[in-house]
Amino acid sequence: MRLGAMAWRTLMRSRRRSLITCFSVAFGVLLAVTFTASADYSYTSMINTSARMGLGHLSVQHPAYNETPTLDRRLVEAETVRQAALAIPGVAAARIRIMGQAMFASGARSQGGSFIAIDPGEERPGENIFLGNLVEGACFVESDGHGVVVGRKMAEKLNLRPGRKLIFTLADKNGELVSEISRVSGIFATGDDAVDGSLVLLPLGLVRDVLAYEPGAASLVALFLADHRRAAAVRAELAGRLAGLSGLAVRTWRETQADLAGLITVDRLFNYLLQLLVGLVIAAGIMNTLLMSVMERCRDFGIMLALGMTPGRIVRLVLLESCWIGLLGLLLGVFLTLPWYLFMSRVGIDFSAQIGNDYSAGGVLVDPVLKFALSWQTALVIGAAVFALTMLAGIFPAIKAGRTVPVENLKRV
Amino acid sequence: MSRLCFAISLCLVPALLFSLLAPARALPPEEAEARAILLEIDELWRASSSQGQVRMQVRTANYTRTLVLETWSKGKDRSLVRISAPLKEKDTASLKSGATMYTYLPRTDRTIRLTSSMMMGSWMGSHFTNDDLVKESRLSEDYAPAITFRGERDGERIVEFTLTPHPEAAVVWGRIVMTVTDRGHLPLVAFYYDDDNNLARTITFHDIKELGGRRLPTRLKVVPADKPGEYTELVYESLRFDLELPDSFFSLLELRRR
Amino acid sequence: MNLLSFALKNCKRSPARTWITIGAMAFAGAIMIFYASLIAGWLAAMERNAVGMDLGELQVHAQGYRDDPDLYKRIEDVETLVAALARAGFAAAPRLFSGGLAAAGNASSGVQLRGVDLDRERELTLLPRHVWQGEWLAAEDPAGAVIGRKLARILGLTVGDEVVLVAQAADGSTANELFRVRGILKSVGEGVDRSGFFLGAAAFRSLLLVPDGAHQLVVKRLDGSEGLAVATSRLARLLPACEVRNWQELQPVLARLLAMSDISLVIMLLITYVAVGILTLNTQLMNVFERIPEIGVMKALGFSPWSIFFLILTESAIQVTAAVLLALAAGLPFSFYFSANPIDFSDFVATSSTIAGVALDAKWYCVVTVDSVLLPVFFLYLIAGLSILYPAGKAALLNPLAAISHR
Repeated sequence: MRLGAMAWRTLMRSRRRSLITCFSVAFGVLLAVTFTASADYSYTSMINTSARMGLGHLSVQHPAYNETPTLDRRLVEAETVRQAALAIPGVAAARIRIMGQAMFASGARSQGGSFIAIDPGEERPGENIFLGNLVEGACFVESDGHGVVVGRKMAEKLNLRPGRKLIFTLADKNGELVSEISRVSGIFATGDDAVDGSLVLLPLGLVRDVLAYEPGAASLVALFLADHRRAAAVRAELAGRLAGLSGLAVRTWRETQADLAGLITVDRLFNYLLQLLVGLVIAAGIMNTLLMSVMERCRDFGIMLALGMTPGRIVRLVLLESCWIGLLGLLLGVFLTLPWYLFMSRVGIDFSAQIGNDYSAGGVLVDPVLKFALSWQTALVIGAAVFALTMLAGIFPAIKAGRTVPVENLKRV
Repeated sequence: MSRLCFAISLCLVPALLFSLLAPARALPPEEAEARAILLEIDELWRASSSQGQVRMQVRTANYTRTLVLETWSKGKDRSLVRISAPLKEKDTASLKSGATMYTYLPRTDRTIRLTSSMMMGSWMGSHFTNDDLVKESRLSEDYAPAITFRGERDGERIVEFTLTPHPEAAVVWGRIVMTVTDRGHLPLVAFYYDDDNNLARTITFHDIKELGGRRLPTRLKVVPADKPGEYTELVYESLRFDLELPDSFFSLLELRRR
Repeated sequence: MNLLSFALKNCKRSPARTWITIGAMAFAGAIMIFYASLIAGWLAAMERNAVGMDLGELQVHAQGYRDDPDLYKRIEDVETLVAALARAGFAAAPRLFSGGLAAAGNASSGVQLRGVDLDRERELTLLPRHVWQGEWLAAEDPAGAVIGRKLARILGLTVGDEVVLVAQAADGSTANELFRVRGILKSVGEGVDRSGFFLGAAAFRSLLLVPDGAHQLVVKRLDGSEGLAVATSRLARLLPACEVRNWQELQPVLARLLAMSDISLVIMLLITYVAVGILTLNTQLMNVFERIPEIGVMKALGFSPWSIFFLILTESAIQVTAAVLLALAAGLPFSFYFSANPIDFSDFVATSSTIAGVALDAKWYCVVTVDSVLLPVFFLYLIAGLSILYPAGKAALLNPLAAISHR
């Protein structure tokens, strides 16, 4: 008789027990998917949100800009960089921006803050979270005009509304202080008070003039990728294509948003640890079942050995049983998890009523909706890990079964 | 005449002058006349260079302080102010060169270039912001004057000007209203309004005397509208005009000299 | 015959099965105990970092200071007040604040200048222990300053560098002084990271000419069991002239976030419990159903259904108790070990980070609380008790003949 079929029949002999064991494997799958997919979703959404807050998934900047972002550190050939970046597959958008600190004043009130100078003709809410959260007015349309978009908190503090005058003062590339007038064209509200109270969008052309930058110069080119996991690959590719240009550096979000990268790393490790512990409990359950089953079949094994079966084949038999449990469990797991996953990846659970919309982590706004996202690679890893755990749990019972001494066992009832 | 201190108090004067110097523009007669009179006022204070001594008294809800300042100026862009009393702050100095301001701090022997974040900070504890000082020489380009009243007020014949910022001008004020005597065109009072047309501060001019060979108000008082009881008062104790001051006098080296 | 000794005998009759059952439950229990202490540690760390880092449990300000901070709105008579608060069961530390400008080389940046009470701050908050490079402030080094991480980056400063501080003193004069960077903090929150400039209170007072008073008192309950709301109103009654706020009022978003994170961690704990539950259920089922012939014999010998039922329950209770003891013996040492030696992820992270303004430690401590031990134990009993009911009932109602020939 073939061992596989034999193992199957063994399992079927005590269906309830096998079913519960398979169910615990399935539960493991459900659990791993829940933990991993919700974490992956929130990491991806944090990384994308963070990219939309100014620096992109990748940014090409002056080599020292990331260390200390001052306005004298600029990228002169921004347009060349942009064109080179757009030619790389996977780069969805490339935006030229100037980012720095400025002083904003209106009437007798004033406030320090930071600005992102953008080309309004190019920028879309998909790459610019602030444009996606306008609550009043609209974005300015001219790159050399005087329109600005300010955050709601700053608007409150400086008593601004669309049409109002706002003076900004900044240090140009030579360190000279320069002021320029602007008029509020729109107001955004992201929900994060720190951002809404200090950030202003300015027109790129105007800021270039004010700073006396070369035409085409900027702080950085922000690149947006369809999939943030390709950041390192695109960086390598782009660095190769830009090898001829000096005075620039390509940085991934992990470097420009080191806080966020650190947060994600720590969170992921914590998550793995918790999953590992639950996995151990599940493995213990499987081992328990197999041990019990092996123990009560001592007599059977004794007979088998007496009939000429080798201990090695008995080991393989028990391993095949755990293999079947693993496969069945995975199958059950897919059936259990799929509807849950589909619901969570499409609809999700909205926690904004509980925590509000103004929650940020690592300096990045976080979506208060719990959703799932799982790549097929990760799904395969989860399946493989759960199966490996099942097989691992089968090793000790299998060895135990292989060590059965035929004569002695025959004597026992 | 100390350009800097007058810059502080009479920001508008050079402003008017330089708008007049701006290339020929077809002005309506009203505005042309306004500019002509204001040029006259500006001529009063204007000189190629100046040197003076000023006593500045600052009164706030929390402190009252008196400083004696020594000031130098040249042209519209260069000025140097050094504290000569009290002893504790002696030699603290401010240098303005173009749009850049530096502060020298003798205690730590450091020169600090003012950054944008300090622009709205108080200048030497007074009711002037650093921004007021930096902006004064730009005012010429920033405002359009108009005569809005001429006649008798409080028993004195006066001319009232309203300065409206150009739409493109990077200034915080919504408008400035200034009153001068009809005869001699000496300034009496200036009101600064914000964008919402609320009064933000008032500068009044007193004690017309002869100093450095010119007849001009020697005491001015700045009163912020939102802080009752507070003021900054400047009293000119001496003034000299048209001295020989080399450009190198307004350098970082000179700033640190004690 | 005594039920207990009979049950014990039954357990001993097939030691392998008994030990497998006990072993599986003990393992699950040990993991649960460890897991619960990990989660308790995480929650405690969140709250400790959120509240204990800089915010403090309660804050006291002079009326109007919070709306419009200025150097002159101070709480007077601080020493008397702190002493009075100590008698009333509160520990308090005064803090002083002012805006200023820090300059180093060609770079300068606006800072929030903070004067801290060197001895008391250490008792109340974790800031003094949250230094990334260098050391915290010390009384014998009045020219030493501790600054935020991003500020250090903006100004290009490292420990030992000189930095000039400029601010407007209380008399309107320009205060300026040279300091040496003594320490750079880990990430504490955007505000402190970007603009925090810490001095000893004495250095702050002599620099800004503020001889007495404080802008803020950070307050902690001496009796941690007193409710926060109760303590807040009690403190407010003690200080009628001041504004008293607790951290939940000061940082409502943070309070909500912590509440949420409590819930989500409890959900994760429940998930572990479910895994343990499945395991326990299976062990208990097997334990009875493998012995059906044996039980049939007992019934045939005249055992009543009830006595069979209780016998099985007692056996199960013995096994669970053994499992719990083993679980405690195996799980608690782990928990205690990791409460002293945290699981350290800091090698994986280049920098320190924050979640919603809460400093995130890359070190994970376990915290062993009564709950983190008793809840898993209770749960193990509960789930074992529930899952034994069905097989025990079934066994009690067995037809002896069918049972004996079962298999």
